[in-house]
Amino acid sequence: MIGLKGTLNVIDNSGALLVECVNVLKQKVNNGWGSVGDEIVCVVKRARPVSGQTSASAAKVRQGDVRRAVIVRTRKPVRRPDGRLIRFDDNAAVLLNNKREMLGTRIGGVVSADLRMKGWGKIVSLAPKVV
Amino acid sequence: MKTEIDSFSGYRIYPSKGRLFVRGDNKIFRFATSKNESLFLQRKNPRKIAWTQVYRRMHKKGITEEVAKKRSRRTVKHQRGIVGADLAAIAARRNQTAAVRAQARTAAIQKAKAEKKAKEEKKEKTKPTRAPVSSAPRVSKQQMKGGKGGR
Repeated sequence: MIGLKGTLNVIDNSGALLVECVNVLKQKVNNGWGSVGDEIVCVVKRARPVSGQTSASAAKVRQGDVRRAVIVRTRKPVRRPDGRLIRFDDNAAVLLNNKREMLGTRIGGVVSADLRMKGWGKIVSLAPKVV
Repeated sequence: MKTEIDSFSGYRIYPSKGRLFVRGDNKIFRFATSKNESLFLQRKNPRKIAWTQVYRRMHKKGITEEVAKKRSRRTVKHQRGIVGADLAAIAARRNQTAAVRAQARTAAIQKAKAEKKAKEEKKEKTKPTRAPVSSAPRVSKQQMKGGKGGR
C-alpha cells in the first residue's frame, strides 16, 4: 500500500537509494494505493554519490530527480492465487524510464513473484531471488 | 499439493492458510496462524514455548515409540583365521586340554636342557685352549677401566 509520501528502497544499481512516491499510475481501483507490480512516479530522496569515472551503469540518477518506478516489495501482504499471503520486511522499487524500461542493469535482493503476473518479466529474470 | 511447516511451531500449513514473511536478509518464514507470527515478531524463543514441536523434541515428549525401536542392535563376532594360523589350527590350539599342554611343555623343557648340556660340553672342550688368549685383552680392559675410575 504505497501512496503519496511513501518511501521505498531502491534495489537496482541506478544510483538512487531512497525514493518517495508522488503519484500512483493507473490506479482507479484500490483507492489510489500502489502494490507490487504497480508503476509509480517518485522523487529521488537519497542517491549514491555520482562518480564521474567508474560508473557501473550509464544512467545515474541524482537527488531530486523525478522518475518512474515499479514496486517490487511491500510490507503489506499480497495475496497469491492459491490463497497465500506474502509479506516482506520493507518496501522496495526498481527505477524505470518513461518507456517502462529499467534504468539500472542489476537487481540486488529478493523480488516478489507477483511481478511476473503483472507483466514485468524482465525484472523477474534479472532478480537473484524471486519469492 | 504440498504442506509446508511452520517456522515457529512446526505445525503443518495447508494451502491457502497462513502467511509467508520474507525478512530483510532474504530469509523466509512461514506461519500457520497469527499466533505464531505474533510470537515470532516478539522474538520469543520457540524452544521455550511449551506447545511447539521444537520444545517437545527437546524435552522428548511423546517420542517413546521411536526410542524403543532403536535398542536392538548388537554386532555379532565372527572368528576368522589369520595368515599364519587358519581356523582349524586356532580351534585345535584352543581345545587342547591342560594335560596335553603340560606334556608338551615338559617335553620342550627336556629338549632345551639336553641341548644346553651338549653346548656346555662343547664349551668345556674348547675352554683351556681359549684361556691364555682371552686373559691378555681382559687385563688391559681392567687397566683402562681403573684409569678412568681414578680420574
